[in-house]
Amino acid sequence: MADLNVNGVFIPLDEDGFLEDSDLWNEEVALALALTEDVEELTEEHWHLINYLRDYYAKFGVAPMIRKLCKETGFNLKKIYELFPGGPAKGACKVAGLMKPTGCV
Amino acid sequence: MSEQVRIPYVAREKELKDLYLPMVAPEDRPQTALELLGEMLKYKRSLKLYLDVCTHCGACAEQCHSYLGTKDPYNMPVARVDLVRRVYKQVFASGPSFLRTWDGAKAIDQETIDLWYKYFHQCNQCRRCAIFCPKGIDTAEVTIAMRELLAHLGMPSRFHAGIAKNMAKTGNNMGNPLPAVLDGIEFLEEELKEETGLDIPIPVDKEGAEVLFNPSSSDLYVNTDGFMAVAKIFYKAGVSWTLSSKITETANFGLFFHEPSMREHSRLLVQAGKELGVKRLVAGECGHGWRTWRMFTETINGPLPFPVVHLFEEVLGYLRDGRIKFDKSMNPEVVTYHDPCNYARAGDLINQPRELLSACVQNFVEMTPTKELSFCCGGGSGILMDEAMKIREALAQPKAECVRSTGAEILCAPCAICKAQLPDVLEHHKVDVTVKGLSDLMGRALIL
Repeated sequence: MADLNVNGVFIPLDEDGFLEDSDLWNEEVALALALTEDVEELTEEHWHLINYLRDYYAKFGVAPMIRKLCKETGFNLKKIYELFPGGPAKGACKVAGLMKPTGCV
Repeated sequence: MSEQVRIPYVAREKELKDLYLPMVAPEDRPQTALELLGEMLKYKRSLKLYLDVCTHCGACAEQCHSYLGTKDPYNMPVARVDLVRRVYKQVFASGPSFLRTWDGAKAIDQETIDLWYKYFHQCNQCRRCAIFCPKGIDTAEVTIAMRELLAHLGMPSRFHAGIAKNMAKTGNNMGNPLPAVLDGIEFLEEELKEETGLDIPIPVDKEGAEVLFNPSSSDLYVNTDGFMAVAKIFYKAGVSWTLSSKITETANFGLFFHEPSMREHSRLLVQAGKELGVKRLVAGECGHGWRTWRMFTETINGPLPFPVVHLFEEVLGYLRDGRIKFDKSMNPEVVTYHDPCNYARAGDLINQPRELLSACVQNFVEMTPTKELSFCCGGGSGILMDEAMKIREALAQPKAECVRSTGAEILCAPCAICKAQLPDVLEHHKVDVTVKGLSDLMGRALIL
Protein backbone atom coordinates (compact mmCIF):
# COMPACT_ATOMS: atom_id res chain seq x y z
CA MET A 1 0.00 0.00 0.00
CA ALA A 2 1.13 3.57 -0.61
CA ASP A 3 2.87 5.34 2.27
CA LEU A 4 0.80 7.50 4.56
CA ASN A 5 1.24 11.22 3.94
CA VAL A 6 1.16 13.04 7.28
CA ASN A 7 1.68 16.74 6.63
CA GLY A 8 4.31 16.00 4.00
CA VAL A 9 6.06 13.24 5.98
CA PHE A 10 5.69 9.79 4.45
CA ILE A 11 5.12 6.93 6.91
CA PRO A 12 5.49 3.39 5.50
CA LEU A 13 2.44 1.12 5.65
CA ASP A 14 2.15 -2.61 4.97
CA GLU A 15 -0.25 -4.01 2.35
CA ASP A 16 -3.08 -4.06 4.88
CA GLY A 17 -2.52 -0.42 5.71
CA PHE A 18 -0.98 -1.02 9.16
CA LEU A 19 2.14 0.89 10.25
CA GLU A 20 5.32 -0.95 9.32
CA ASP A 21 6.99 0.59 12.38
CA SER A 22 4.72 1.24 15.34
CA ASP A 23 7.31 3.64 16.84
CA LEU A 24 6.36 6.13 14.12
CA TRP A 25 2.88 6.53 15.60
CA ASN A 26 1.72 9.90 16.93
CA GLU A 27 -1.63 11.64 17.16
CA GLU A 28 -1.38 13.10 13.69
CA VAL A 29 -0.55 9.70 12.26
CA ALA A 30 -3.64 8.37 14.06
CA LEU A 31 -5.80 11.00 12.35
CA ALA A 32 -4.39 10.04 8.95
CA LEU A 33 -4.87 6.32 9.66
CA ALA A 34 -8.43 6.98 10.79
CA LEU A 35 -9.23 8.47 7.37
CA THR A 36 -8.09 5.21 5.72
CA GLU A 37 -10.65 3.44 7.94
CA ASP A 38 -13.51 5.75 6.96
CA VAL A 39 -13.40 7.52 10.31
CA GLU A 40 -13.60 11.24 9.53
CA GLU A 41 -13.05 12.57 13.01
CA LEU A 42 -11.50 11.19 16.20
CA THR A 43 -13.83 12.02 19.07
CA GLU A 44 -13.18 11.69 22.79
CA GLU A 45 -14.62 8.19 22.64
CA HIS A 46 -12.24 7.19 19.84
CA TRP A 47 -9.31 8.50 21.87
CA HIS A 48 -10.51 6.63 24.95
CA LEU A 49 -10.26 3.38 22.99
CA ILE A 50 -7.01 4.29 21.24
CA ASN A 51 -5.33 5.28 24.51
CA TYR A 52 -6.40 2.07 26.19
CA LEU A 53 -4.98 0.02 23.32
CA ARG A 54 -1.72 1.96 23.34
CA ASP A 55 -1.28 1.61 27.09
CA TYR A 56 -1.89 -2.12 26.91
CA TYR A 57 0.44 -2.44 23.94
CA ALA A 58 3.19 -0.54 25.75
CA LYS A 59 2.88 -2.93 28.68
CA PHE A 60 2.41 -6.26 26.90
CA GLY A 61 3.47 -5.81 23.28
CA VAL A 62 0.15 -7.05 21.86
CA ALA A 63 -3.52 -6.12 21.71
CA PRO A 64 -5.67 -7.11 24.70
CA MET A 65 -8.29 -9.82 24.44
CA ILE A 66 -11.52 -8.41 23.04
CA ARG A 67 -13.46 -9.20 26.19
CA LYS A 68 -11.00 -7.24 28.31
CA LEU A 69 -10.98 -4.36 25.86
CA CYS A 70 -14.78 -4.11 26.10
CA LYS A 71 -14.89 -4.42 29.86
CA GLU A 72 -12.15 -1.93 30.63
CA THR A 73 -13.18 0.72 28.11
CA GLY A 74 -16.85 0.30 28.94
CA PHE A 75 -17.64 -0.09 25.21
CA ASN A 76 -19.43 -3.17 23.97
CA LEU A 77 -18.49 -4.72 20.65
CA LYS A 78 -21.33 -2.98 18.83
CA LYS A 79 -20.10 0.37 20.10
CA ILE A 80 -16.55 -0.43 18.98
CA TYR A 81 -17.82 -1.22 15.47
CA GLU A 82 -19.72 2.08 15.50
CA LEU A 83 -16.51 3.91 16.36
CA PHE A 84 -14.30 1.87 14.04
CA PRO A 85 -16.25 0.12 11.26
CA GLY A 86 -13.27 -2.20 10.71
CA GLY A 87 -13.78 -3.57 14.24
CA PRO A 88 -11.47 -3.85 17.22
CA ALA A 89 -8.62 -5.70 15.50
CA LYS A 90 -8.56 -4.35 11.97
CA GLY A 91 -9.95 -0.89 12.68
CA ALA A 92 -9.09 0.24 16.21
CA CYS A 93 -5.70 -1.51 16.37
CA LYS A 94 -4.70 -0.01 13.03
CA VAL A 95 -5.52 3.55 14.07
CA ALA A 96 -3.77 3.00 17.42
CA GLY A 97 -0.62 1.95 15.54
CA LEU A 98 -0.62 -1.66 16.78
CA MET A 99 0.21 -4.69 14.69
CA LYS A 100 -2.66 -6.62 13.18
CA PRO A 101 -3.71 -9.55 15.38
CA THR A 102 -3.10 -12.76 13.45
CA GLY A 103 -3.98 -16.44 13.82
CA CYS A 104 -7.48 -17.94 13.79
CA VAL A 105 -9.15 -14.55 14.26
CA MET B 1 4.01 -12.69 -10.90
CA SER B 2 0.73 -10.87 -11.44
CA GLU B 3 -1.10 -9.17 -8.57
CA GLN B 4 -3.83 -11.77 -8.73
CA VAL B 5 -1.32 -14.60 -8.33
CA ARG B 6 0.26 -12.90 -5.32
CA ILE B 7 -3.00 -13.38 -3.39
CA PRO B 8 -2.52 -14.51 -0.67
CA TYR B 9 0.63 -12.45 -0.17
CA VAL B 10 3.86 -14.38 -0.54
CA ALA B 11 6.22 -14.42 2.45
CA ARG B 12 9.04 -11.89 2.53
CA GLU B 13 12.69 -12.49 3.31
CA LYS B 14 12.23 -11.81 7.03
CA GLU B 15 9.56 -14.49 7.42
CA LEU B 16 11.57 -16.98 5.36
CA LYS B 17 14.66 -16.43 7.50
CA ASP B 18 12.76 -17.21 10.68
CA LEU B 19 11.73 -20.58 9.27
CA TYR B 20 15.16 -21.30 7.70
CA LEU B 21 13.56 -21.31 4.27
CA PRO B 22 15.57 -20.19 1.23
CA MET B 23 14.97 -17.30 -1.14
CA VAL B 24 14.91 -18.68 -4.68
CA ALA B 25 15.18 -16.34 -7.68
CA PRO B 26 12.14 -16.64 -10.00
CA GLU B 27 14.26 -17.86 -12.92
CA ASP B 28 15.75 -20.64 -10.76
CA ARG B 29 12.40 -21.84 -9.45
CA PRO B 30 11.45 -24.29 -12.25
CA GLN B 31 14.68 -26.28 -11.93
CA THR B 32 14.62 -26.21 -8.12
CA ALA B 33 10.97 -27.26 -8.18
CA LEU B 34 11.80 -30.31 -10.29
CA GLU B 35 14.54 -31.34 -7.87
CA LEU B 36 12.18 -30.92 -4.89
CA LEU B 37 9.37 -32.81 -6.61
CA GLY B 38 11.78 -35.63 -7.49
CA GLU B 39 12.82 -35.91 -3.84
CA MET B 40 9.22 -35.84 -2.62
CA LEU B 41 8.18 -38.60 -4.99
CA LYS B 42 10.78 -40.84 -3.37
CA TYR B 43 9.36 -40.61 0.13
CA LYS B 44 5.71 -39.63 -0.42
CA ARG B 45 4.25 -42.75 -1.98
CA SER B 46 0.74 -41.34 -1.72
CA LEU B 47 1.73 -38.38 -3.90
CA LYS B 48 3.16 -40.63 -6.62
CA LEU B 49 0.11 -42.87 -6.47
CA TYR B 50 -2.32 -39.93 -6.78
CA LEU B 51 -0.39 -38.55 -9.74
CA ASP B 52 -0.44 -41.95 -11.45
CA VAL B 53 -3.95 -43.30 -10.96
CA CYS B 54 -6.34 -40.47 -11.93
CA THR B 55 -8.52 -41.43 -14.90
CA HIS B 56 -10.01 -37.94 -15.33
CA CYS B 57 -13.50 -39.31 -14.74
CA GLY B 58 -14.56 -35.98 -13.25
CA ALA B 59 -16.45 -37.43 -10.26
CA CYS B 60 -14.68 -34.92 -8.01
CA ALA B 61 -15.52 -31.73 -9.88
CA GLU B 62 -19.04 -31.02 -8.68
CA GLN B 63 -18.25 -32.23 -5.16
CA CYS B 64 -15.65 -29.54 -4.52
CA HIS B 65 -16.91 -26.39 -2.80
CA SER B 66 -13.96 -24.49 -4.22
CA TYR B 67 -15.06 -25.23 -7.80
CA LEU B 68 -18.76 -24.77 -6.95
CA GLY B 69 -18.05 -21.44 -5.28
CA THR B 70 -15.58 -19.97 -7.79
CA LYS B 71 -16.56 -21.76 -11.06
CA ASP B 72 -12.88 -21.58 -11.93
CA PRO B 73 -12.05 -24.80 -13.84
CA TYR B 74 -8.62 -25.02 -12.20
CA ASN B 75 -10.45 -25.45 -8.89
CA MET B 76 -11.82 -28.82 -9.93
CA PRO B 77 -9.73 -31.23 -7.84
CA VAL B 78 -8.73 -33.13 -10.98
CA ALA B 79 -7.56 -29.94 -12.71
CA ARG B 80 -5.80 -28.66 -9.62
CA VAL B 81 -3.76 -31.84 -9.32
CA ASP B 82 -3.23 -31.88 -13.10
CA LEU B 83 -1.10 -28.75 -12.62
CA VAL B 84 1.41 -31.08 -10.97
CA ARG B 85 0.48 -34.19 -12.91
CA ARG B 86 1.43 -32.60 -16.23
CA VAL B 87 4.95 -31.95 -14.94
CA TYR B 88 5.11 -35.41 -13.44
CA LYS B 89 4.12 -36.95 -16.79
CA GLN B 90 6.77 -34.93 -18.58
CA VAL B 91 9.67 -35.65 -16.26
CA PHE B 92 9.09 -38.57 -13.90
CA ALA B 93 6.43 -40.95 -15.26
CA SER B 94 7.38 -44.17 -17.03
CA GLY B 95 6.49 -45.05 -20.66
CA PRO B 96 7.35 -43.66 -24.11
CA SER B 97 7.42 -39.88 -24.41
CA PHE B 98 4.77 -39.62 -27.17
CA LEU B 99 2.29 -41.41 -24.91
CA ARG B 100 3.08 -39.11 -22.03
CA THR B 101 2.66 -36.02 -24.23
CA TRP B 102 -0.67 -37.42 -25.34
CA ASP B 103 -1.48 -37.86 -21.64
CA GLY B 104 -1.07 -34.12 -20.96
CA ALA B 105 2.65 -33.88 -20.20
CA LYS B 106 3.95 -30.32 -20.19
CA ALA B 107 7.30 -28.80 -19.34
CA ILE B 108 7.57 -26.77 -16.16
CA ASP B 109 7.99 -23.00 -16.36
CA GLN B 110 7.58 -19.99 -14.09
CA GLU B 111 3.92 -19.72 -14.99
CA THR B 112 3.34 -23.30 -13.76
CA ILE B 113 4.78 -22.35 -10.39
CA ASP B 114 2.59 -19.25 -10.19
CA LEU B 115 -0.42 -21.45 -10.94
CA TRP B 116 0.65 -23.84 -8.20
CA TYR B 117 0.85 -20.96 -5.76
CA LYS B 118 -2.55 -19.61 -6.73
CA TYR B 119 -4.54 -22.84 -6.87
CA PHE B 120 -2.96 -24.72 -3.98
CA HIS B 121 -4.07 -21.73 -1.90
CA GLN B 122 -7.67 -22.18 -3.11
CA CYS B 123 -7.88 -25.77 -1.84
CA ASN B 124 -8.95 -25.99 1.80
CA GLN B 125 -7.49 -29.48 2.29
CA CYS B 126 -11.01 -30.54 3.24
CA ARG B 127 -10.87 -34.06 1.67
CA ARG B 128 -14.45 -34.05 0.41
CA CYS B 129 -13.29 -34.97 -3.10
CA ALA B 130 -11.56 -38.05 -1.69
CA ILE B 131 -14.94 -39.43 -0.62
CA PHE B 132 -16.24 -39.31 -4.17
CA CYS B 133 -13.09 -40.32 -6.08
CA PRO B 134 -13.40 -43.92 -7.30
CA LYS B 135 -9.62 -44.19 -7.03
CA GLY B 136 -9.48 -42.67 -3.54
CA ILE B 137 -7.32 -39.72 -4.57
CA ASP B 138 -7.01 -37.33 -1.66
CA THR B 139 -6.30 -33.87 -3.05
CA ALA B 140 -5.56 -32.58 0.46
CA GLU B 141 -2.42 -34.74 0.49
CA VAL B 142 -1.34 -33.23 -2.82
CA THR B 143 -2.04 -29.70 -1.56
CA ILE B 144 -0.07 -30.35 1.63
CA ALA B 145 2.86 -31.65 -0.45
CA MET B 146 2.73 -28.78 -2.92
CA ARG B 147 2.55 -26.10 -0.23
CA GLU B 148 5.59 -27.74 1.36
CA LEU B 149 7.34 -27.64 -2.01
CA LEU B 150 6.40 -23.98 -2.47
CA ALA B 151 7.76 -23.20 1.01
CA HIS B 152 11.09 -24.65 -0.04
CA LEU B 153 10.96 -22.47 -3.15
CA GLY B 154 10.70 -19.49 -0.78
CA MET B 155 6.98 -19.16 -1.50
CA PRO B 156 4.90 -19.98 1.56
CA SER B 157 2.09 -17.50 2.12
CA ARG B 158 3.06 -14.60 4.35
CA PHE B 159 0.16 -15.38 6.67
CA HIS B 160 1.18 -19.00 7.25
CA ALA B 161 4.87 -18.22 7.58
CA GLY B 162 4.17 -15.37 10.02
CA ILE B 163 2.03 -17.63 12.18
CA ALA B 164 4.64 -20.40 12.22
CA LYS B 165 7.18 -17.78 13.26
CA ASN B 166 4.92 -16.53 16.07
CA MET B 167 4.44 -20.09 17.26
CA ALA B 168 8.18 -20.76 17.35
CA LYS B 169 8.82 -17.55 19.29
CA THR B 170 5.97 -17.51 21.80
CA GLY B 171 4.23 -20.90 21.84
CA ASN B 172 1.06 -19.51 20.28
CA ASN B 173 -0.01 -18.48 16.79
CA MET B 174 -1.01 -14.97 17.76
CA GLY B 175 2.49 -14.22 19.03
CA ASN B 176 1.25 -13.27 22.49
CA PRO B 177 4.17 -13.06 24.96
CA LEU B 178 3.74 -14.93 28.25
CA PRO B 179 2.93 -11.83 30.38
CA ALA B 180 0.04 -11.05 28.02
CA VAL B 181 -1.22 -14.64 28.16
CA LEU B 182 -1.08 -14.62 31.97
CA ASP B 183 -2.79 -11.24 32.13
CA GLY B 184 -5.61 -12.57 29.99
CA ILE B 185 -5.99 -15.70 32.12
CA GLU B 186 -6.12 -13.68 35.34
CA PHE B 187 -8.79 -11.48 33.81
CA LEU B 188 -10.86 -14.53 32.81
CA GLU B 189 -10.65 -15.93 36.35
CA GLU B 190 -12.14 -12.64 37.58
CA GLU B 191 -14.82 -12.88 34.91
CA LEU B 192 -15.68 -16.41 36.02
CA LYS B 193 -15.97 -15.22 39.62
CA GLU B 194 -18.23 -12.36 38.58
CA GLU B 195 -20.42 -14.63 36.45
CA THR B 196 -20.76 -17.59 38.81
CA GLY B 197 -19.80 -16.31 42.23
CA LEU B 198 -17.42 -19.27 42.46
CA ASP B 199 -13.64 -19.48 42.55
CA ILE B 200 -13.11 -21.39 39.33
CA PRO B 201 -9.38 -21.63 38.68
CA ILE B 202 -7.52 -21.54 35.37
CA PRO B 203 -4.30 -23.22 36.49
CA VAL B 204 -1.02 -22.68 34.66
CA ASP B 205 1.96 -25.05 34.97
CA LYS B 206 0.36 -27.06 37.77
CA GLU B 207 2.62 -30.06 38.22
CA GLY B 208 0.94 -33.42 38.63
CA ALA B 209 -2.36 -32.25 37.14
CA GLU B 210 -4.37 -35.03 35.51
CA VAL B 211 -5.04 -33.13 32.29
CA LEU B 212 -2.99 -30.71 30.20
CA PHE B 213 -5.58 -28.70 28.29
CA ASN B 214 -4.39 -27.13 25.08
CA PRO B 215 -6.69 -24.41 23.72
CA SER B 216 -6.45 -22.50 20.49
CA SER B 217 -4.82 -19.12 21.14
CA SER B 218 -7.90 -17.47 19.65
CA ASP B 219 -9.80 -18.86 22.69
CA LEU B 220 -7.72 -16.40 24.72
CA TYR B 221 -8.41 -13.51 22.37
CA VAL B 222 -11.88 -13.67 20.90
CA ASN B 223 -13.59 -17.00 21.79
CA THR B 224 -13.39 -16.47 25.52
CA ASP B 225 -16.91 -17.79 26.29
CA GLY B 226 -15.84 -21.22 25.07
CA PHE B 227 -12.63 -21.14 27.03
CA MET B 228 -14.39 -20.13 30.25
CA ALA B 229 -16.87 -22.95 29.64
CA VAL B 230 -14.03 -25.46 29.61
CA ALA B 231 -12.78 -24.14 32.97
CA LYS B 232 -16.31 -24.52 34.38
CA ILE B 233 -16.64 -28.08 33.09
CA PHE B 234 -13.33 -29.21 34.59
CA TYR B 235 -14.32 -27.53 37.86
CA LYS B 236 -17.69 -29.23 38.00
CA ALA B 237 -16.30 -32.64 37.02
CA GLY B 238 -13.66 -32.29 39.74
CA VAL B 239 -10.78 -32.86 37.34
CA SER B 240 -7.36 -31.48 38.11
CA TRP B 241 -6.14 -29.68 34.99
CA THR B 242 -3.61 -27.15 33.83
CA LEU B 243 -2.45 -25.04 30.92
CA SER B 244 1.22 -24.90 29.98
CA SER B 245 2.98 -21.53 29.92
CA LYS B 246 5.19 -22.86 27.13
CA ILE B 247 2.45 -23.57 24.65
CA THR B 248 -1.13 -22.37 24.49
CA GLU B 249 -1.90 -23.43 20.96
CA THR B 250 -3.52 -26.48 19.49
CA ALA B 251 -3.74 -25.02 15.96
CA ASN B 252 -0.73 -26.54 14.22
CA PHE B 253 -0.28 -24.49 11.04
CA GLY B 254 2.76 -26.59 10.15
CA LEU B 255 0.31 -29.18 8.81
CA PHE B 256 -0.72 -26.72 6.10
CA PHE B 257 2.67 -25.99 4.61
CA HIS B 258 5.74 -26.95 6.63
CA GLU B 259 6.38 -30.32 8.22
CA PRO B 260 9.33 -29.19 10.41
CA SER B 261 7.05 -26.60 12.06
CA MET B 262 4.38 -29.26 12.58
CA ARG B 263 6.85 -31.67 14.16
CA GLU B 264 8.33 -29.01 16.45
CA HIS B 265 4.86 -27.88 17.58
CA SER B 266 3.89 -31.41 18.60
CA ARG B 267 7.28 -31.99 20.24
CA LEU B 268 6.94 -28.87 22.36
CA LEU B 269 3.51 -29.90 23.57
CA VAL B 270 4.52 -33.46 24.40
CA GLN B 271 7.52 -32.13 26.30
CA ALA B 272 5.32 -29.70 28.24
CA GLY B 273 3.02 -32.58 29.20
CA LYS B 274 5.94 -34.74 30.29
CA GLU B 275 7.46 -32.00 32.44
CA LEU B 276 4.14 -31.42 34.18
CA GLY B 277 3.61 -35.16 34.64
CA VAL B 278 0.06 -35.13 33.28
CA LYS B 279 -1.92 -38.30 32.57
CA ARG B 280 -3.33 -37.11 29.27
CA LEU B 281 -3.48 -34.20 26.92
CA VAL B 282 -6.86 -32.74 25.98
CA ALA B 283 -7.02 -30.82 22.70
CA GLY B 284 -9.41 -27.87 22.41
CA GLU B 285 -11.75 -26.84 19.59
CA CYS B 286 -9.48 -26.89 16.54
CA GLY B 287 -10.05 -29.07 13.50
CA HIS B 288 -6.65 -29.41 11.89
CA GLY B 289 -4.84 -29.40 15.22
CA TRP B 290 -6.91 -32.43 16.10
CA ARG B 291 -6.21 -34.03 12.74
CA THR B 292 -2.51 -33.57 13.38
CA TRP B 293 -2.75 -35.45 16.70
CA ARG B 294 -5.01 -38.18 15.46
CA MET B 295 -3.35 -38.80 12.10
CA PHE B 296 0.22 -37.52 11.99
CA THR B 297 1.96 -37.02 15.33
CA GLU B 298 2.80 -40.61 16.20
CA THR B 299 4.09 -41.28 12.68
CA ILE B 300 6.20 -38.16 12.56
CA ASN B 301 7.24 -37.61 16.19
CA GLY B 302 7.24 -41.19 17.44
CA PRO B 303 5.20 -42.91 20.19
CA LEU B 304 3.39 -40.61 22.61
CA PRO B 305 4.05 -40.89 26.35
CA PHE B 306 0.37 -40.31 27.20
CA PRO B 307 -2.96 -40.41 25.39
CA VAL B 308 -4.15 -37.36 23.50
CA VAL B 309 -7.92 -36.99 23.49
CA HIS B 310 -10.27 -34.37 22.15
CA LEU B 311 -12.22 -32.14 24.50
CA PHE B 312 -15.48 -33.69 23.23
CA GLU B 313 -14.34 -37.23 24.07
CA GLU B 314 -13.26 -36.04 27.51
CA VAL B 315 -16.47 -34.16 28.28
CA LEU B 316 -18.66 -36.95 26.92
CA GLY B 317 -17.03 -39.23 29.46
CA TYR B 318 -18.04 -36.86 32.28
CA LEU B 319 -21.57 -36.64 30.92
CA ARG B 320 -22.05 -40.39 30.60
CA ASP B 321 -20.63 -40.92 34.09
CA GLY B 322 -23.04 -38.35 35.51
CA ARG B 323 -20.24 -36.07 36.69
CA ILE B 324 -21.78 -33.12 34.87
CA LYS B 325 -25.34 -32.30 33.88
CA PHE B 326 -26.81 -29.83 31.42
CA ASP B 327 -29.98 -27.76 31.54
CA LYS B 328 -31.17 -27.70 27.92
CA SER B 329 -33.56 -24.86 28.56
CA MET B 330 -30.56 -22.52 28.70
CA ASN B 331 -30.16 -23.07 24.94
CA PRO B 332 -33.69 -22.73 23.58
CA GLU B 333 -32.68 -21.51 20.08
CA VAL B 334 -32.71 -23.62 16.92
CA VAL B 335 -29.14 -24.89 16.62
CA THR B 336 -27.51 -26.59 13.67
CA TYR B 337 -24.08 -28.20 13.52
CA HIS B 338 -21.29 -27.57 11.05
CA ASP B 339 -18.95 -30.56 10.85
CA PRO B 340 -15.41 -29.20 10.70
CA CYS B 341 -13.76 -31.14 7.84
CA ASN B 342 -10.89 -32.29 10.01
CA TYR B 343 -13.23 -33.77 12.62
CA ALA B 344 -15.63 -35.51 10.25
CA ARG B 345 -13.27 -36.60 7.46
CA ALA B 346 -9.96 -36.83 9.27
CA GLY B 347 -10.42 -37.14 13.01
CA ASP B 348 -13.16 -39.61 14.04
CA LEU B 349 -15.35 -36.93 15.60
CA ILE B 350 -18.86 -37.20 14.20
CA ASN B 351 -21.17 -38.67 16.83
CA GLN B 352 -19.48 -37.32 19.97
CA PRO B 353 -20.33 -33.65 19.33
CA ARG B 354 -23.89 -34.64 18.36
CA GLU B 355 -24.38 -36.55 21.61
CA LEU B 356 -23.16 -33.50 23.53
CA LEU B 357 -25.34 -31.14 21.52
CA SER B 358 -28.42 -33.27 22.03
CA ALA B 359 -27.77 -33.09 25.76
CA CYS B 360 -27.27 -29.33 25.98
CA VAL B 361 -29.58 -27.70 23.40
CA GLN B 362 -33.34 -27.91 23.03
CA ASN B 363 -33.75 -27.69 19.25
CA PHE B 364 -31.01 -29.37 17.28
CA VAL B 365 -31.49 -29.66 13.50
CA GLU B 366 -29.17 -31.45 11.08
CA MET B 367 -27.81 -29.70 8.04
CA THR B 368 -27.83 -31.24 4.55
CA PRO B 369 -25.34 -32.57 3.53
CA THR B 370 -23.90 -33.49 6.87
CA LYS B 371 -21.28 -35.55 8.71
CA GLU B 372 -18.54 -36.80 6.34
CA LEU B 373 -20.38 -35.25 3.38
CA SER B 374 -20.47 -31.78 4.92
CA PHE B 375 -19.06 -28.84 2.94
CA CYS B 376 -16.03 -26.92 4.18
CA CYS B 377 -16.44 -23.41 5.64
CA GLY B 378 -13.98 -22.14 3.03
CA GLY B 379 -11.34 -21.14 5.58
CA GLY B 380 -9.82 -24.59 5.96
CA SER B 381 -6.04 -25.05 5.79
CA GLY B 382 -5.61 -21.52 7.09
CA ILE B 383 -7.14 -19.58 4.20
CA LEU B 384 -7.98 -16.79 6.62
CA MET B 385 -5.96 -13.97 5.10
CA ASP B 386 -7.73 -10.61 4.84
CA GLU B 387 -6.31 -10.08 1.38
CA ALA B 388 -7.99 -13.33 0.26
CA MET B 389 -11.45 -12.25 1.46
CA LYS B 390 -13.01 -12.37 -2.03
CA ILE B 391 -11.75 -15.93 -2.46
CA ARG B 392 -12.89 -16.87 1.04
CA GLU B 393 -16.38 -15.59 0.29
CA ALA B 394 -16.52 -17.63 -2.91
CA LEU B 395 -15.21 -20.77 -1.20
CA ALA B 396 -17.89 -20.38 1.48
CA GLN B 397 -20.82 -20.12 -0.93
CA PRO B 398 -21.93 -23.81 -0.86
CA LYS B 399 -21.74 -23.89 2.95
CA ALA B 400 -23.69 -20.64 3.22
CA GLU B 401 -26.59 -22.17 1.27
CA CYS B 402 -26.57 -25.26 3.52
CA VAL B 403 -26.70 -23.10 6.65
CA ARG B 404 -29.42 -20.87 5.22
CA SER B 405 -31.71 -23.78 4.44
CA THR B 406 -31.64 -25.04 8.05
CA GLY B 407 -33.23 -21.81 9.27
CA ALA B 408 -31.12 -22.14 12.43
CA GLU B 409 -30.50 -19.22 14.79
CA ILE B 410 -27.22 -20.63 16.07
CA LEU B 411 -24.57 -22.36 13.97
CA CYS B 412 -22.38 -24.55 16.16
CA ALA B 413 -18.95 -24.67 14.47
CA PRO B 414 -16.45 -26.08 16.95
CA CYS B 415 -13.17 -25.24 15.21
CA ALA B 416 -11.16 -22.04 15.60
CA ILE B 417 -10.69 -21.60 11.84
CA CYS B 418 -14.40 -22.15 11.13
CA LYS B 419 -15.22 -19.65 13.89
CA ALA B 420 -12.91 -17.06 12.34
CA GLN B 421 -14.17 -17.65 8.79
CA LEU B 422 -17.92 -18.17 9.11
CA PRO B 423 -19.21 -14.92 10.68
CA ASP B 424 -17.60 -12.74 7.99
CA VAL B 425 -18.51 -14.86 5.00
CA LEU B 426 -22.05 -15.69 6.16
CA GLU B 427 -22.71 -11.98 6.59
CA HIS B 428 -21.50 -11.49 3.02
CA HIS B 429 -23.93 -14.19 1.82
CA LYS B 430 -26.68 -12.63 3.95
CA VAL B 431 -27.23 -15.64 6.21
CA ASP B 432 -28.48 -14.38 9.54
CA VAL B 433 -27.05 -16.74 12.15
CA THR B 434 -24.82 -16.56 15.24
CA VAL B 435 -21.69 -18.72 15.13
CA LYS B 436 -20.68 -20.42 18.37
CA GLY B 437 -18.40 -23.19 19.53
CA LEU B 438 -19.82 -26.31 21.16
CA SER B 439 -18.03 -25.33 24.38
CA ASP B 440 -19.96 -22.05 24.45
CA LEU B 441 -23.26 -23.93 24.32
CA MET B 442 -22.14 -26.48 26.93
CA GLY B 443 -21.00 -23.64 29.18
CA ARG B 444 -24.40 -21.98 28.98
CA ALA B 445 -26.23 -25.19 29.85
CA LEU B 446 -23.86 -26.57 32.48
CA ILE B 447 -25.47 -26.94 35.92
CA LEU B 448 -22.82 -25.74 38.34
